[in-house]
Amino acid sequence: MTIVDSLNGDTVENIKGLLRELVQIPAPAGHEGRVRQAIQEIITPHVDSIKVDALGNLIARKGRKAADGRHILLSAHMDEIGVIATHIDANGFVRFTSVGALFLRYLPGGHVRFLDGARGLVGVNIEPGQTKFPSMEQMFLDVGASNRQDCPVQVGDLAVFDRPMLEIGNRVVGKSLDNRTGVAVLIEVIRSLGESPHTFTFVFSVQEELSRQGAMTAAFASDAEMAIAVDVTTSGDTPQAARMAVSLGGGPAIKVRDQGMIADARIVRWMADSAEQAGIPHQYEVLELGTTDAQMIQVAREGIPSGCLSIPLRYLHSPAEMVDLNDLAQTYALLTRLLTGKAAF
Amino acid sequence: MATDPTMLNLNEYLTAMLSLPGIPGNEAPVRDMLARVWSPFVDEVSSSRLGSLHAIKHGGGAEPRRRVMVTAHMDGVGMMVTEIIDGFIRFTDVGSLDARVLPGQEVTVHGRRDVPGVIVDPGERLLPADLDGRAAPMRYLFIDTGLTPDALTAAVQVGDPISYALQPLALDGDWLLGHTLDNRASLAAISICLEQLRDVPHDWDVWCVATVQEETTHAGAMTSAYTIQPDMAIVLDVTYGRTGENHDPSTFPLGEGPTLGIGPNIHPVLHQRFKRLAGDLEIPYQIEVLPGNSLTDAHALQVVAGGIPCMVIGIPLLNMHTPVEVAAVKDIQQTGYLVARWIEALGKNIVEPLLAEEPA
Repeated sequence: MTIVDSLNGDTVENIKGLLRELVQIPAPAGHEGRVRQAIQEIITPHVDSIKVDALGNLIARKGRKAADGRHILLSAHMDEIGVIATHIDANGFVRFTSVGALFLRYLPGGHVRFLDGARGLVGVNIEPGQTKFPSMEQMFLDVGASNRQDCPVQVGDLAVFDRPMLEIGNRVVGKSLDNRTGVAVLIEVIRSLGESPHTFTFVFSVQEELSRQGAMTAAFASDAEMAIAVDVTTSGDTPQAARMAVSLGGGPAIKVRDQGMIADARIVRWMADSAEQAGIPHQYEVLELGTTDAQMIQVAREGIPSGCLSIPLRYLHSPAEMVDLNDLAQTYALLTRLLTGKAAF
Repeated sequence: MATDPTMLNLNEYLTAMLSLPGIPGNEAPVRDMLARVWSPFVDEVSSSRLGSLHAIKHGGGAEPRRRVMVTAHMDGVGMMVTEIIDGFIRFTDVGSLDARVLPGQEVTVHGRRDVPGVIVDPGERLLPADLDGRAAPMRYLFIDTGLTPDALTAAVQVGDPISYALQPLALDGDWLLGHTLDNRASLAAISICLEQLRDVPHDWDVWCVATVQEETTHAGAMTSAYTIQPDMAIVLDVTYGRTGENHDPSTFPLGEGPTLGIGPNIHPVLHQRFKRLAGDLEIPYQIEVLPGNSLTDAHALQVVAGGIPCMVIGIPLLNMHTPVEVAAVKDIQQTGYLVARWIEALGKNIVEPLLAEEPA
């Protein structure tokens, strides 16, 4: 934890400030425009060029490659999971399905907010004697309407979880911390980046929560020589948790493997060596369920050796995801060190 | 190794290769060996960005020359450390393993140094009662290295690769046993093919590719194919061998020749031509129906860039993904021989009209 003390004391506050702003912006997969605009406004003064590609990725370039430099692509997805209206019944109740991997157990009683501002809550019907957890077909959104005509929601409208961000001690709780934490850390890295021998492509990607379509196309369009995704990972430190050796507060998790990819061994070593040299606490991640933008970047065109720096997070894909501010600061510190030092190869 | 670097002693060579680790993402030991073995037979050797080995033998045809990609994956299934608890290692599989065959197996944990260990089933008394005597799933198994907790955490960390440690064994009947015959058997076949092609003129450029990460994502095949943009790809992989009692039509007896795949991952005209060539040369072959995903690199490779016509050739293998995989040396030799004759014929009279022909 020493690194946090030696950082510019504003780093944690800066990241927290970014989170407060970004978490409140609804951006379900495929509809990332509003969060993209916010990110674009913040980083434009700090990069050499910036554009939005055909799928909606925000792509910024910075730096000029020195003789021993590399072209490094960094990707943080800006979309979040959500729901989409599939049917409005005669009484104005909205049936829905998921956009991204929703866990049913987190839905009943939750509040949602549609892109146009309409609000609602998740109601549920339970059969008499039912002991099984209700299915999505038994759930509906109550948006305050009493018939189809008055319903402010149409089929195809998208909504996200609606929850204010909460600070508990050194931890932050909120919706869409997957992956606004990664976005906030990457923004702070970009804003404060010093001299570097490398040139960078920063991608704030779309549709990671679906099939990582944004990363796939952004990587295809780049000629990067290596890549790092900045995302979150689940932890195994809650009671009766599935076995996983990642804890909140243990520092950034260096991905070795997840369900969709094996991180490039050279990049894993680079991350680990850099963290050790700087005394940055870190952990190793072997994730058996889930993957990140790096999965698609790795196999773009001729292949882009890729790794991932993961922020440990509890209660993934719930309206109350939790991260530790120290982990965000340490991820920032390690990422900054990686981007300003000698590259993996 | 044979003393003459351009002459292969197949058994010796395969035995050496089967003793090397190479789980997906950690293929360097195999890649280094293949680069040494293939170099004398080819004009150029290089690595892809993800670590696949490319060995190029130029053809004699007029520029721009057509390219044939002959590919076999060099990774093999293995395991990875997920957790270290009180001096024991918990692990998961990389590629798919059957947990039933794991207890009692010797393994090597590739940590800061190579650490020998054995996979242990904690015993029925310590397993959940609802398993009711059935084999313990992988999450209950652990690896005992004999090290103290402190010594273990000093040598091993989460994410370290683990490979089978069983040594290869030559069985009677010219059968070979070893833990990564999937797919080192096919790499040996490519080596034989290259040996066969020495001093043999051929029109097309031959790109022999040993791919990485087939067992997980096909990452090596799809990226190398993008680099090479071949006119045709021949994917060599193992297929299910037939055991005595089993007459499932998706299994194939050992020693009766390679299988010629047919299915949506395979260009039907390539299949027909291979069958005709094998018949002409009196090379025994078996027909393997591969409906849907062939579970080989061809599945990913077929749709790279503008699409690549693929052929899949299988070498029958017993006990796939276990430490005791078994293949017949004769099948390996015949596979290499068939692919060499195919390459020799490319652009002469057998295959030239092929690429103009429309798939059925």
